[in-house]
Amino acid sequence: MGTPINFIARPIFGTSSGFRGEVARRRAGPAIVTTVLAIARRVGQRLLSSIPALLGVVIITFVLMRVMPGDPAVFFASGPSAGQAEIEQLRHKMGLDKPIPVQLVRYLEDVATGNLGRSLTTGQPVSNDIRQRLPASLELTFTALFIALLLAVPLGVAAALRPGSPIDHVVRMLCTLGVCVPTFVSGLLLIYVFYYLLGWAPDPTARIDIFAASPPEMTGFYLIDFALTGEWAGWWAAFTQLLLPAFTMALFVLAPLARMTRASMLAVLGSDFIRTAQAMGLGRPRIVVAYALRNALLPVLTITGIVFSTMLGANVLVEKVFSWPGVASYALDALLAADYAPVQAFVLLMATIFVSVNVLIDILYGIADPRVSVE
Amino acid sequence: MKLNRRLVLHAATGIVGLALLPRVAFGQNRAETLRYVTGNNINPLDPTVQGSTRESFGLSMNVYDRLFSFGRKKLGDNWVFDATKIRGELAKGYQISPDGMKITITLRPDATWHDGTPVTAEDIKWSLDRAVSAKSLAPPQFSTGSMTSTDQFRIVDDHTIEVTLPQPDRLGLANLCVPYAIMINSKLAKQHVTADDPWALDWLKSNSAASGAYIVESFKPSESVIIRRNDAWKGGADGAMPFFRRIIIQTVPEPATRANLIEKGDADLAIDLAASDIPTMEKSTKAKVVSVPQTNGFTHISMNTQMAPFDNVKVRQAIAAALPFEDMFKAALFARGRRLYGADWTGLPPNSGFPQPIPLKTDSTRAKKLLAEAGMPEGFKTSFAFSTGQAATAEPLAALLKEALGKIGIDVDIQKKPDAEFNTLESEKKMPFFVDAATAWLPATDYYFRLYFTRDQRWNFASWKNTDIEQISAAARFELDPAKYDEECKKMIEVFAENVPLIMMWQPNHDAVMAANIDGYTYQFYRQADFRDLKRV
Repeated sequence: MGTPINFIARPIFGTSSGFRGEVARRRAGPAIVTTVLAIARRVGQRLLSSIPALLGVVIITFVLMRVMPGDPAVFFASGPSAGQAEIEQLRHKMGLDKPIPVQLVRYLEDVATGNLGRSLTTGQPVSNDIRQRLPASLELTFTALFIALLLAVPLGVAAALRPGSPIDHVVRMLCTLGVCVPTFVSGLLLIYVFYYLLGWAPDPTARIDIFAASPPEMTGFYLIDFALTGEWAGWWAAFTQLLLPAFTMALFVLAPLARMTRASMLAVLGSDFIRTAQAMGLGRPRIVVAYALRNALLPVLTITGIVFSTMLGANVLVEKVFSWPGVASYALDALLAADYAPVQAFVLLMATIFVSVNVLIDILYGIADPRVSVE
Repeated sequence: MKLNRRLVLHAATGIVGLALLPRVAFGQNRAETLRYVTGNNINPLDPTVQGSTRESFGLSMNVYDRLFSFGRKKLGDNWVFDATKIRGELAKGYQISPDGMKITITLRPDATWHDGTPVTAEDIKWSLDRAVSAKSLAPPQFSTGSMTSTDQFRIVDDHTIEVTLPQPDRLGLANLCVPYAIMINSKLAKQHVTADDPWALDWLKSNSAASGAYIVESFKPSESVIIRRNDAWKGGADGAMPFFRRIIIQTVPEPATRANLIEKGDADLAIDLAASDIPTMEKSTKAKVVSVPQTNGFTHISMNTQMAPFDNVKVRQAIAAALPFEDMFKAALFARGRRLYGADWTGLPPNSGFPQPIPLKTDSTRAKKLLAEAGMPEGFKTSFAFSTGQAATAEPLAALLKEALGKIGIDVDIQKKPDAEFNTLESEKKMPFFVDAATAWLPATDYYFRLYFTRDQRWNFASWKNTDIEQISAAARFELDPAKYDEECKKMIEVFAENVPLIMMWQPNHDAVMAANIDGYTYQFYRQADFRDLKRV
């Protein structure tokens, strides 16, 4: 994450709230320009410095796929009467009969021109598959992350305010449970209770009831597409369909978020400026939310970025359990079938997302803590 | 217009009515809609291209017509396909010349493609030419029916096609019934050919040009396919229309979810539930199970006959005598299937059918004796492999095998391998000892022997080389005299049983789980649901 940040010892304050507001207001004009410039420079540097990393990821995945045992040509030319001739024919078509360095150069050329190859599992160009499936994964991950933050931050704060109390223990137990129970178990459990026993949830397959119409293709995010066309019945159907998988994922990432919030809140609550604020007679809610929480958010932000990237790649179990047509299950299917192109594209995609998320988090740092952007 | 209370009320009623309309209409449709859930990917639409899944075979049977189709017969309470009865699908009828080398096919004069244009002999010629010349999985299949060249297909007139075979191949006609023998609207397909792709392989992956019972309405690879009934379809048995107007085929990877969906009545049919869910389903009031042994398949334990010590027939016989067949059958399959071991005959088998039970019995004293005769009384070390995809049944089987062989001194190292790796090793003949399963579309004894026990290719699991089998299977293929054919088949089975290149285990059940009101399910040779046979009662 670059610059080491000492976010505990020196407090930051909102420009509109609190003492020394006067000073902050006077410097606001030029400060914004410098901040924006600093952010732009930071983003530019980050993106540039990530290119070698991405290239490395592409090459390593490429080589790894070919070193792994399992020949895709054998797997796919496996009709009941297919023989060696068909296998050779497919190897030739896929370019697998060339030496690996030649294949790599070809692949890099293709990637540079935006051609990610064709999937043998789906028979479609990989870029098409990913364009259709990425929004599904993103929609699920964003919703899950939102739910997780909504639960984790208040839980973490509550636990930090009364460390050692029953509340703290309940939060700790919840977090431990969330981490211990694998997502396919919690997912199946939620399905069993809410779909099979209670019948509250719609049938847990795909992004929308299979008998209902999906929205016209715009952003690929069903909630947004339905909202744009104003079909609220459809929106509701897609939303209810999303809840169970999103909760399943949220439960799993509750722990890192809540624990980090608690730890960071504890540190901030024990620092001098909180004591000063208390001494000056500020109200309790104001101290907790405006002073303590804002200062405690930086590490939570960092962990949120990491959690998001992990969720996107690791939600394959949730996608499988809920028949969610996302990128992770797509990549897993491809991996099992030794289908090179989709796996390579998936890893490249994840690396790109990881880089972008880190850059985004950096920008958010700048907003949460102006000192970070000054290098 | 003045806005008054009455107008507002009318408008409100109208809006509510409109909002309800699709649901009401849908409510009537649900009975005529079949929702089929599967753990596999459904793609592409053309079953002949490399990478096509078994679901794609099933789908293409419903979307495309072939010239001919197998009939069906009752086996106990259930329907199974009958390869001995061949009826016309897109063809009205056929005639085979007395020497068995010329098949004259008459087409249905009133058949049309999905776009409404008539089916002509030119379309059929193009489709058959494609099946023997495109770079796909079809040519090797067609070659098993002695169809290899476009010269063999001749247009006689608008509705007649003549197929000439170089030899009187017993499987010529049967090969026109398999999923690869789809008949394609050539006028439509030709609009999408390119210089690199003269047979529109790419376009047909995600589009169809067919005449079959169902029309593809939406196709999302590895998600869902929705097909609707083609009301102009002519290919049904006795002109019958399929019952269901709409079929939803959906990929639901989690077996527990598929089971839940069926028990709740939200889905109507699944053929790949977990074995442990089947007994629950049999007790359920909402679901029923149709269990049929996979009559055209076999699970086997193969030994590489080209690799020491399995090149010694005594070693193979010793292993076959050491295996605890019955325990394995119960542990792996919960005894749900048909046994292919434990027969009582010696010498020639009682009939010419294959696969049939082979005289293999557990007898560890005989196993020890055979091993001593082979010069290895102390036993040896070897490895035994299975693929992750088959782990549910192969894991208990492997554990029992290791234990039983340990008792006669053979030390077995169990290896579980990812499917892609297992397939590659199998194809490269690098595994000494493994378990796998096989099915053949055309259940003819000579075809099994040609496919699985001759030639140097992947499907000769045991890499078995036996000149008798090579000669007899080659001759039986063109044998027109049924009595002579039976004799030849029995002889091959005898040689097979003596040499034990691979140990026949069983035919697992094909378990189709469906809503209690679904009827007519037929076990098909391609092991997928044929929606055209199904109805709701």
